[in-house]
Amino acid sequence: MTNYLYQLKINFKRIILRNKAFFLFDMLLPIVFYLLYTKILPSGVSQQQLQTWNKDYLISMMIYGCLLGSIITTANTLLNDQTSNFKVFISLKPISKFQYYSSLIAIFVTLNLIASITISITGILINEITLPISSIIKIILTNTIGTIPLILIGIMISFAKRPELVNLLTNLIVFPLAIISGLWWPIEMMPKWLQAFGKLLPTYQLSTIDKTFLNHTDLNWFAFINILIWFGIFSLLLLLINKLQGHFGVTK
Amino acid sequence: MAVVLQVNHLNKSYRDKSILKDISFQLEDSSVIALIGVNGAGKTTLINTILELIPKDSGKVNFSINNWRQITGVMMQDNLILNRIKVREIINLTRSYFATPLPYNTLLNLSGLNESANTFINQLSSGQKRRLSFVLALAGNPEILFLDEPTVGMDTIARQDFWKSIAKLKQSGKTIFVTSHYLEELENIADQILILEDKTLTFNGSLKQLRETSGKVLIEFDSQLSIKTFNELASIISLEQINHHFQIITNDVKKTISELSPFLQGIENLKIDQSSLNSIILNYQEKK
Repeated sequence: MTNYLYQLKINFKRIILRNKAFFLFDMLLPIVFYLLYTKILPSGVSQQQLQTWNKDYLISMMIYGCLLGSIITTANTLLNDQTSNFKVFISLKPISKFQYYSSLIAIFVTLNLIASITISITGILINEITLPISSIIKIILTNTIGTIPLILIGIMISFAKRPELVNLLTNLIVFPLAIISGLWWPIEMMPKWLQAFGKLLPTYQLSTIDKTFLNHTDLNWFAFINILIWFGIFSLLLLLINKLQGHFGVTK
Repeated sequence: MAVVLQVNHLNKSYRDKSILKDISFQLEDSSVIALIGVNGAGKTTLINTILELIPKDSGKVNFSINNWRQITGVMMQDNLILNRIKVREIINLTRSYFATPLPYNTLLNLSGLNESANTFINQLSSGQKRRLSFVLALAGNPEILFLDEPTVGMDTIARQDFWKSIAKLKQSGKTIFVTSHYLEELENIADQILILEDKTLTFNGSLKQLRETSGKVLIEFDSQLSIKTFNELASIISLEQINHHFQIITNDVKKTISELSPFLQGIENLKIDQSSLNSIILNYQEKK
């Protein structure tokens, strides 16, 4: 256990504490978007509408921050482990793949937790959002746990091994996912057929659950089950890709 | 001596191109085994296949215990270039993977990186990275060490220190499997030589056996005499002249010396080199 905790500590330092990209992209970018869309762009709306928009958009940007962390940071961290020979190094040590990945997933969840807390504090302080502390805690925890399926996507992308391909895949997934599931603009602005598709995505369902905490309504079970199904699908895909990877070995 | 690794009829190909063909050998404890071969011969592929980094096509690799990662230490050809981790941290992280690791201070002292303990790995020089890779291979106090081109990038003093460490490890009962381009470094320490050539092991034995198989001896000297004088010697295989320096290859050293004896007054700096691993390998490959 002590050894596992030490591994977590080193992973925390290298992936979060000493990683400028994490602060710039996973935290600063959603904050900048949030300020832009709540302080500068809105005009001609009532104070009440603005308050609602500020709360909704805060949730969107918290999920967006977690999306960036889960896919881009996860894929790039694992790619870096590959190109710096760390993956080969680890595979020669008497630890299981599960131990390696579980310690990383724990750090990526922590990373999403930190991003969510920071973005929510920004919203509370700058836009004077008033929410019961219990609701904020529920939203933050839902976002950090609910984005685990997205971390699995990040892990799968890292198996592409080539930096240019990893970059292409992360961009092809992250930004369409953010737009189609209504994280940047309200989903109602999209064509109907695209809305229907967007509403199936885990990021949309996550914001649906968050809004139940925001509006003090009952838990949306459909959204909850949807995220569980995504988790199941991505877990199976990950196991399949991992099995195929075994046929090719771990060297570059 | 106990067998710690047995490799039987190992085959590996890549996209229908054979890379390793029917490789068989065994490693015994407390010995140093040198794997020699030209670039591209398949040395790294052989190590990678034994260590399951790449899958084998057929054959068997059996370590003395099932959980072989617990008793092996590996220094790969490519250094660890992980950024955002310090030397001190990577040593302790590596120790954390093993049940009975060597103490941190022992490893740090052995690496000679005491003053760089708080330096990030990617900021080390290539020689320092090599030394770090070596102590990381030792961190778990392994019984078998795999060292792939360990001294590349090290300066002369670091290389000398490195081979002294290897000699000590051998004395302490470790088995060391090493590949190196610097053949002169291996000849003083290797108990067993494996020559990998044309995808297969063409030699597996001691240096003494290799000498006997090779059979040829290099005789070098300086002389003002004409090359014609030595061309007439019956026992020589080849003769080369570079200014006043002569190189003779023979397979009957006694007869050649006896034929040279009438000219000994005109010969200086006579050297009979039958021990250079480099020349033995060259002769061995020529003979084949």
